[in-house]
Amino acid sequence: MRTSDTARSRPPFRQFPTALRFSVRDQTRNRLAGLLLALFVPAWYLLMNAMASGEVLDFRLYSTGEVLSVDGGRLTLITAGLNCVTMIAGFVVFDAVRKALAFDRRLVFAGYRQATLIGAKTLAMVVVATAVALYTALAVLVFWRPSVGGWSAVLAGFTVIALTYGALGLLLGVVVKRDLEGFFLIIMGGLMDTFLQNPLGNPLANEPLLQWFPSFGPMQFAAGGAFGDTALWGHLALGLLWASAFSAVGLTVFRIRTRSRNRAR
Amino acid sequence: MPSATALALALAPPALEARGLHKSYGAHQVLRGADLSVASGQLVAVVGENGAGKSTLLKALAGVLAADRGEVSRHGTLGHCPQEPVLNDSLTVEQHLRYFAAARRLPGLERGHELAGRLGYERYLGTVAGELSGGTRQKLNLTLALLHDPDVLLLDEPYQGFDWETYLRFWELAEDLRSRGRAVVVITHLVFEQERFDLLADLVDGRLVTRVANAAGTEETRHADI
Repeated sequence: MRTSDTARSRPPFRQFPTALRFSVRDQTRNRLAGLLLALFVPAWYLLMNAMASGEVLDFRLYSTGEVLSVDGGRLTLITAGLNCVTMIAGFVVFDAVRKALAFDRRLVFAGYRQATLIGAKTLAMVVVATAVALYTALAVLVFWRPSVGGWSAVLAGFTVIALTYGALGLLLGVVVKRDLEGFFLIIMGGLMDTFLQNPLGNPLANEPLLQWFPSFGPMQFAAGGAFGDTALWGHLALGLLWASAFSAVGLTVFRIRTRSRNRAR
Repeated sequence: MPSATALALALAPPALEARGLHKSYGAHQVLRGADLSVASGQLVAVVGENGAGKSTLLKALAGVLAADRGEVSRHGTLGHCPQEPVLNDSLTVEQHLRYFAAARRLPGLERGHELAGRLGYERYLGTVAGELSGGTRQKLNLTLALLHDPDVLLLDEPYQGFDWETYLRFWELAEDLRSRGRAVVVITHLVFEQERFDLLADLVDGRLVTRVANAAGTEETRHADI
């Protein structure tokens, strides 16, 4: 049947729900990411908790200037959780976006609205990143039972860093050409970013330079909520700013790389 | 005395027309002023040596690749089948059909199922593309180009990896498209099938030299913009 015959009736496969459903499927069919969630997250928590438990560390909250003396094991659990989330959310989104880029381009040539595809991909990334953050925050309860408010702050911090690295994965997925480059940047970037914030591994962790790292805001929010009973909303917003910046650049490149010159006269 | 249909075809604007297409990759000039005109109901073969620029030409005609210079005009909808299947390995065949039905705003999947049946791979509707054989991937690749029954079809070696039976089915499909007035351009390497086409366009030194071919095998050489 010709398309012109059906222009007036509403098509049964609407673009946004279809793209959202398949984008989520794309990002959740990653078996390695599933294995990392199931095995790496608890193993990493176990290892970090065993190594740092009982040690007292000084951790600076920048918005108040307060220096908290915290249990090193618990602080390191937050760092380990943030690190897991950066790696898994970044990897899942990077892998799915990079592999589907040529296909997405074909979809746009076939008539998919770019804005619809971009909206669906972004929402899928948010759904997947939030799910990864929620799982990782729940898994921490096996090793540490903070107050409800404290756990909520950890969850919020994990969610924002998941969004940030999901957005970074999206950006790398449309920019880098090979898997290895993307994986390396995500893994090394996430490791450096999160572990430099922790005074256990980095004696300079309380230096102002670290404010310019993506995990600074989420780490401050999570630690402030878990150990200082404060909600540092500005720092959470700072993390969201990183996520928005990565998304904006990534989606702009996606738009350029999938644009269609295909116009009939 | 020409028939009424032939006269109508001659007077109608071409379904696809390219004028003076130029494309270079660095210092390497691939297209140097390629001209092509394809009427509705015409089946055209683009032939040429490896590396002559056939795929570049087809991409420029499809709008996938921006030409450095020149113009392409097209009347009606377009279907483009790229040489390498462009699929999503995590989606099933059926999901591919749904995705492109959404892209094309189609009312249903009937055409997709019909094409899967005609090309003989309907039993793989529930299989993810990453698990399909090379030939079946190519069938799906072709189906996605034909799904909306376009007016103009650009097919880059569409039968790569097909077995003989599917190859013959492809030609039945191509004949069907031609008889329904679709303009079809096919990149091909195979010399023995040239009699199937209305027009052969040789890509030589970045330009197209066209020859009219008919079923009797006689050929008339003409240059460029017919």
